[in-house]
Amino acid sequence: MNKDRDDLNLLAPRELRPKFDYLHREVQRAAGHPIDRRRALGLGGMAIFAAAAAACGTTTAGGTAPGSASASKDSLAGKPLENHLEIYNWSQYDDPSTYTKFKALPAEANVGMTIHETYYSSNDELLAKLHAGGTNYDIIVPSQNAVAELIDEKLLLALDKSLLPNLKYLDPSFLKPSYDPTGDYHIIKDFGITMFFYNNKIVKEPLATMLDFYHALPKYVSKGRTNLLDGAEEVVPLALMALGLDPNTDSQADFGTVKNFLLSIRKGVTTIDSSAYINDSIAGKIILSQGWNGDVRRIVQGRKKFGDITPIIPHKASEIWADNWCIPANAPHPVAAHAWINWLLTPSTAVTEMNYHNYKIPMDAALAQLAPSLRNDPMFNVPKSYTDGYHYILNVSPQVVEARTQIYTQFKAA
Amino acid sequence: MTAITEPEAATTASGSGDRAARSFRPRYPAWLTAPSFLYYAIFFLGPMAILVAFSLATQKGFGSLSYGFDIAQYRLIFTSFYLDIFARTLLMAGIGTVLTVLVGYPVAYWMARYLTTYKMLALLLIVVPFWTSFLIRTYALKIILDPNGYLAKDLGINILYTKYAIAVGLVYNYLPLFILPVFASLERMDWTLIEAATDLGARPFNAFRQITLRLTLPGVVTGALLVFIPMTGEYIIPNILGGGTYEFVGNVIGDQFNSAQNEPFGSALSIGLMAALSIFVIVYILVATKEERFGA
Repeated sequence: MNKDRDDLNLLAPRELRPKFDYLHREVQRAAGHPIDRRRALGLGGMAIFAAAAAACGTTTAGGTAPGSASASKDSLAGKPLENHLEIYNWSQYDDPSTYTKFKALPAEANVGMTIHETYYSSNDELLAKLHAGGTNYDIIVPSQNAVAELIDEKLLLALDKSLLPNLKYLDPSFLKPSYDPTGDYHIIKDFGITMFFYNNKIVKEPLATMLDFYHALPKYVSKGRTNLLDGAEEVVPLALMALGLDPNTDSQADFGTVKNFLLSIRKGVTTIDSSAYINDSIAGKIILSQGWNGDVRRIVQGRKKFGDITPIIPHKASEIWADNWCIPANAPHPVAAHAWINWLLTPSTAVTEMNYHNYKIPMDAALAQLAPSLRNDPMFNVPKSYTDGYHYILNVSPQVVEARTQIYTQFKAA
Repeated sequence: MTAITEPEAATTASGSGDRAARSFRPRYPAWLTAPSFLYYAIFFLGPMAILVAFSLATQKGFGSLSYGFDIAQYRLIFTSFYLDIFARTLLMAGIGTVLTVLVGYPVAYWMARYLTTYKMLALLLIVVPFWTSFLIRTYALKIILDPNGYLAKDLGINILYTKYAIAVGLVYNYLPLFILPVFASLERMDWTLIEAATDLGARPFNAFRQITLRLTLPGVVTGALLVFIPMTGEYIIPNILGGGTYEFVGNVIGDQFNSAQNEPFGSALSIGLMAALSIFVIVYILVATKEERFGA
């Protein structure tokens, strides 16, 4: 929707922009729901003409625009807070009180902030929506690979750090990750890792690295069900990392190596699944499997009375993944979106959030306030000594993704 | 045989022509079909056209295509790897169909020939599983096949997450679709023909083979195609009962759309599958029309 802005630049002098913004907001308020700028200005324009015709030019809406001083291209500083926020999120990913408390903040209560939220269930769904266009989201929550893709496609707004004073609480090592090297387009929401676990009544030898895990598969498959996490973007990069290679490689030689490696352990894999494995593991049906840390934590808790699950956070290398707050380039309420992100960066909010979703937010001030049972659980609060060697898995290019998918398909069909 | 049937076909054709000329048919204004055709055009032909356009496009970046006439995707299908996937899908669907016939035909035969009072009840019981979702039924099967279940523990049949489990799932889920048309054609059977055959000295098996089976063959072929076609497009059963370790073409297509974001290749695979299936439908039409001639 950059197009709207360009139209505006062509049609009106830049100084008029704040006035148009004001008109846009006024029309939205009158309508009671978000309207995109073009239609809002159209309606507003008609209203002005009607008013002018009727009252022969008394004061029109444009005159009283507040905070219209500095409207440089990317800076939102000094712009007034909008009164609505449109969020597109994973379902049940934020504590309900986070929303109500946000609306009750002084500035937000003052403008009568309303929030509307809709949900998606995969990054592909989010990407498809954004690629199709016509969206009016202010806040989206893409995972790391989708962030990189969206930056590449220029679909994200560069964040105005002056509106995010609470950024200072965030662990600085999470500000400029490989998927957003400038750190301009995302704020990390929470993160997790890929680990593995085994039934210690059956697997007696100590396993420490992801490579140990893969080597154990053919050895123990006859004793029970083994499982890998599903998807080309998991199976191939995780195996690459176990072999000490770059998970985001585009080298044909690396692809050849990892393919041969995967085919060599293929007979050791009973299932490839990322959703049913949690319940099946709690039911004691899986003896050796990869898993995401939040899930493995649930499995260990579910098997507590048997005490037969040993979780392993792999040494050397594994996957780290992150979900992130981002603002689409065409967001109709960018100031409110910044206010929302800043609110989520408040340590007290982060505490509420972590207690709700049990995924780590890299914020020491908030982590210190958590109950010890959660804070000291390495499966929640993954020690930095591990994650330092971990990598984000990215969708580097369509060619790389296609190569991974081919290996994955061959692996499954073998 | 052809010498006899061809003139016959010619006479029936001219006969129907006469009937049309005399026109006792009720009048049916063609425009009444317009809403149906509109629906058909928008929601059936429309997506097909989009699929074809996708399959001929080139992938530019993630989620962006440049439309054109690029047959590279179709070339990719003809690499040994994807041909193998096609072959195994067709083979599995074929085995599933044969098993369905072997399980379904006796049931339909028994219902049609020997049930009187409870015929409708039996028919109802055959259809009942269709009242639940396909997905739920497949999950239910997983419990029976579970390694800790009775089948595995007491009978030693531990087949979950193998192709055998997939075959069981295919037969189970599609059995009613086969039984119904076969039952319908067995219902129309004139059993006095069998009596006549036995009176004339035919052994029961010969009477069955030469009369019952021949007369119900169109029903069997219809039923078999009705189950074979959806089996080749199966996605859920290999995923759940194969533990995600056994690939049908449907799963490969799913991966192309969902994880590779490669719409052109996914679409080309879909169209390739449709083309492969068309061959079977053509065979069906040939067999079916031949049977009609027999009947006439």
